[in-house]
Amino acid sequence: MIFEERQLEKNNFSSRAILLFGVVILSFLAILIKVFSLQISGYSDYQLAALKNKNYVVPIQPLRGEIFDRKGRYLVRNEPTFDLITNPNLIIDLDLFLEEIEPVIFLSDIEKTRYRKFYKDKAFINKELVLKKDLTQREIARFNVRSFNFKNVFIAKRYRRISDHPDIFSHVLGYTSITEGDFKSMPEIPRSHWKDVELNYAHGLITGQTGLEETYDYQLRGSHGKKVYEMNARGQFIKELEASQPKKGSDLFTYLDIDAQKSAAEYIGNRRGAVVAIDLQSSGINVLYSSPSYSINRLSNGMSESEFKDLINNSEKPFFNRALQGRYPPASTIKPAIGMYGLSRDIIDWNFEIKDPGYFTLPETGRIYRGWLKGGHGKVNLRKAMLVSSNTFFFSLAYKSDINELSEHLNSLGFGQKVCFDCFDEDQAFVPTPEWKYSKMNTGWVKGDTVNLGVGQGYLIATPMQLANYASILATKGKIEKASLAILDKQKKSSIFWEQKGFSSLDWNKMHNALLGVIESDYGTASSIRDLKNFQVAGKSGTAELVSLDSKEAYLEVRSAELLRDHSIIIAFGPMPNPKYAVSVVIENGESGGAVAGPVAIEVLKSLINE
Amino acid sequence: MSNYFEKIYFDPYLFFSIFFLSALGLFFLFSASNGDVNMVFKQLIFVIGGLIFMIGISQPDPDIFRRMSLMILLFALFLLGITYFFGPEINGAQRWVRIGSISFQSSEMLKIALPIFLANFLFNKKLPIQRKEVLISIIIIFCCFFLVYRQPDLGTAVIVALSGIFVLFLSGLSWSFIGGSLIFLIISSPFIWNILLEPFQRQRIATYFNPDSDPFGASWNITQSKVAIGSGGIFGKGFGEGSQTQLNFLPETETDFIFSVIGEEFGFLGVLLLLTIYLFILLRCFYLALNARDRFCRLVIGGISLTFASNLIINLSMVVGLLPIVGMPLPFISMGGSSLISLFFSFGIIISMGTHKKFLPQ
Repeated sequence: MIFEERQLEKNNFSSRAILLFGVVILSFLAILIKVFSLQISGYSDYQLAALKNKNYVVPIQPLRGEIFDRKGRYLVRNEPTFDLITNPNLIIDLDLFLEEIEPVIFLSDIEKTRYRKFYKDKAFINKELVLKKDLTQREIARFNVRSFNFKNVFIAKRYRRISDHPDIFSHVLGYTSITEGDFKSMPEIPRSHWKDVELNYAHGLITGQTGLEETYDYQLRGSHGKKVYEMNARGQFIKELEASQPKKGSDLFTYLDIDAQKSAAEYIGNRRGAVVAIDLQSSGINVLYSSPSYSINRLSNGMSESEFKDLINNSEKPFFNRALQGRYPPASTIKPAIGMYGLSRDIIDWNFEIKDPGYFTLPETGRIYRGWLKGGHGKVNLRKAMLVSSNTFFFSLAYKSDINELSEHLNSLGFGQKVCFDCFDEDQAFVPTPEWKYSKMNTGWVKGDTVNLGVGQGYLIATPMQLANYASILATKGKIEKASLAILDKQKKSSIFWEQKGFSSLDWNKMHNALLGVIESDYGTASSIRDLKNFQVAGKSGTAELVSLDSKEAYLEVRSAELLRDHSIIIAFGPMPNPKYAVSVVIENGESGGAVAGPVAIEVLKSLINE
Repeated sequence: MSNYFEKIYFDPYLFFSIFFLSALGLFFLFSASNGDVNMVFKQLIFVIGGLIFMIGISQPDPDIFRRMSLMILLFALFLLGITYFFGPEINGAQRWVRIGSISFQSSEMLKIALPIFLANFLFNKKLPIQRKEVLISIIIIFCCFFLVYRQPDLGTAVIVALSGIFVLFLSGLSWSFIGGSLIFLIISSPFIWNILLEPFQRQRIATYFNPDSDPFGASWNITQSKVAIGSGGIFGKGFGEGSQTQLNFLPETETDFIFSVIGEEFGFLGVLLLLTIYLFILLRCFYLALNARDRFCRLVIGGISLTFASNLIINLSMVVGLLPIVGMPLPFISMGGSSLISLFFSFGIIISMGTHKKFLPQ
């Protein structure tokens, strides 16, 4: 090759090499810019992404607040139990391990099968696994002296939700049940992490399901803590990075009274019924009992499915909270309200008298409405009508009433509405109106419907809670606040002072006097309970008819079927003249109000008053 | 003694930068392998052996490579053949040849043999090179490409093809031909997509264009690599402290994705240092190519160093997300004996060709 040619070739090479190396340098620059955008511009995003990769946050379950009665005694508490817990990742030979631990702690086949089932997964991710729940003191002692043999096993505290009076407070306290997790309270924790929650309760993640546990769940549940684990790409926990402790829920202080609730349960016995008692000064509910009942301890701490089914399908309906949801005709207990209506609307006054022949004839149709006493009570005024529970008097008073005004009046006394501030699933029952009847039954309201209302029969229904609320309005002469189970801040309470222009304090005094006479006078319908106590009680009993019959004789025939027998009802308050407590009692198919429901009411008042 | 030392053909710039780079590589590998001492020790042996090998290779006169160019190519093809017939199948690919206890990735040799062969074929041809020679060169390049592609190893096949194309380009391929080929390549790209690419390769490329389509599936690697690099920031998380690396979120940390480890643990400054060393090596090669004694040496240095650059750039672009994922180690850093040996071999040749002058002053 000649020199020029070689020089030409060299130049050609150089320019091409420069071109290619230029491309190389440009590529380097592109890569550098990309790295810059990742590491400097995108740093915070990628740093977060890296943290999200490795940091595995799990919630730590808080302890629930405990619930106390009005004297500061436990209604529901957290009882520690002891579980045997293992670190499966430190167990090299599972069979050998089980062989070694069995002589120390007895393991049932179910426990062993369960352990074998979860062992591999837990070992892989380095998590703990419960081997045996609820160790006895003996087992704890046996294990503790040998614990040096088991580096991979330890005993840890797990709680159970326990009530010392599980059977009598079940409806009002309610029970807790297992939940998936409180996702909303911790949006920073992905839902899937809740399966790795660190538990404080042996039973798992729990939440209030009914009763106070449900109503005040937001206050009782406390707030979860969290633990941050470092996790590798295979999902194994490497180490604990940080932890914030959970906060125990606030305790709940209630107006409930263990002794009074006990006497309610004791005196109702195994009959179906309900008792509600209200402290008039605080308007706090002292007793809220529904019979029959069930054990919340069993329900809150794992009940077998068949047991649960039995409970649901029981013909006595123990699950049904009669105190808040039982719908009963108020019967004669409504009479004071009807009287108040007549007085305040000037339809009658205390001296107004009628002749009671034992029945009332509806002028329009000539239909007969009978009283409970054949032959009647003779001349009756309002006071006597309440004492002897004259149906005729109230039939004729109701006859003169305007149904819409009367419904409104009953509403103002709490009927047809929820009257408890914090009761779980309270039924508002209802007060009938012509519109209601037309829309429901497609027939018009007739005068006879109003007449029936006068003695608390017919379409009017009320719950024991509403009856107790009504009793407290009567007892406090209208000055009562909304009833509540929990002791609340003043501002949270709403007042329901009852006032009516035509109803003076003199009327109130006479009303109290008449209701006192029902129990304390010789011819009051509930005088049979007069001597059960050493203080004076006012009240009104009632017998709610389940079948409409024209005569007592006819009733004697249906009586043989227990479930058709009349309900026995009483509202009462005392001690008079300055009442402190009001109570309502309903006993299903208990017949005569005064004699059957009366003693229960008296015993509850006694235990509240003679504390 | 000093007299004797002067007789050694030695380029201190290349030697010490490669030495430094390999030492850094061992350091990075220790962290990337979660502290696997055995692996690092094995690599250390290869590095020490490789450095000695490199000095040894650079001693004979470059003419020996010219004279032996056909032999070298045939040897490389022979290795490929052995792999084809006897090589163990690993992950559905036959890339390795096993001699005793030593495994060797057979295609590595071709990246050196092909440019030397083509340089020998073209160095004494008149400019501009004739159509016949271009055609022969392209057939040879395509054959080599195809053999590696069939292993299958698309990444290395592309590098092998590039190593030939660089030599062809540097030796004076006419511009009109280059333009024509580019147009041909663009037209035939759908054909390449459908016939040449395996389904998993198509998936990788699709992932590259839409990385969020399946973050836990196909794009996992690239996503984790970007997170690793990005979370390193300016200063990095520190040696052995990269969570992406140490907790195994990052795949293939010892091989293809070792740059992500460096990015995560040593940050932008670490990356800058690394790129500076690479750039220094390339610029030195560029200088040696320009000042080489003859056309053959120029073509070989240019071809081999640009192949090295392509290898490097493809790896870097891939782990930072500029290119789809293809298996390609980071030169001098990634774990792997055959890659190291072939690198030291190529730089031995470069040093030999850069330091031998035509008329020795004796």
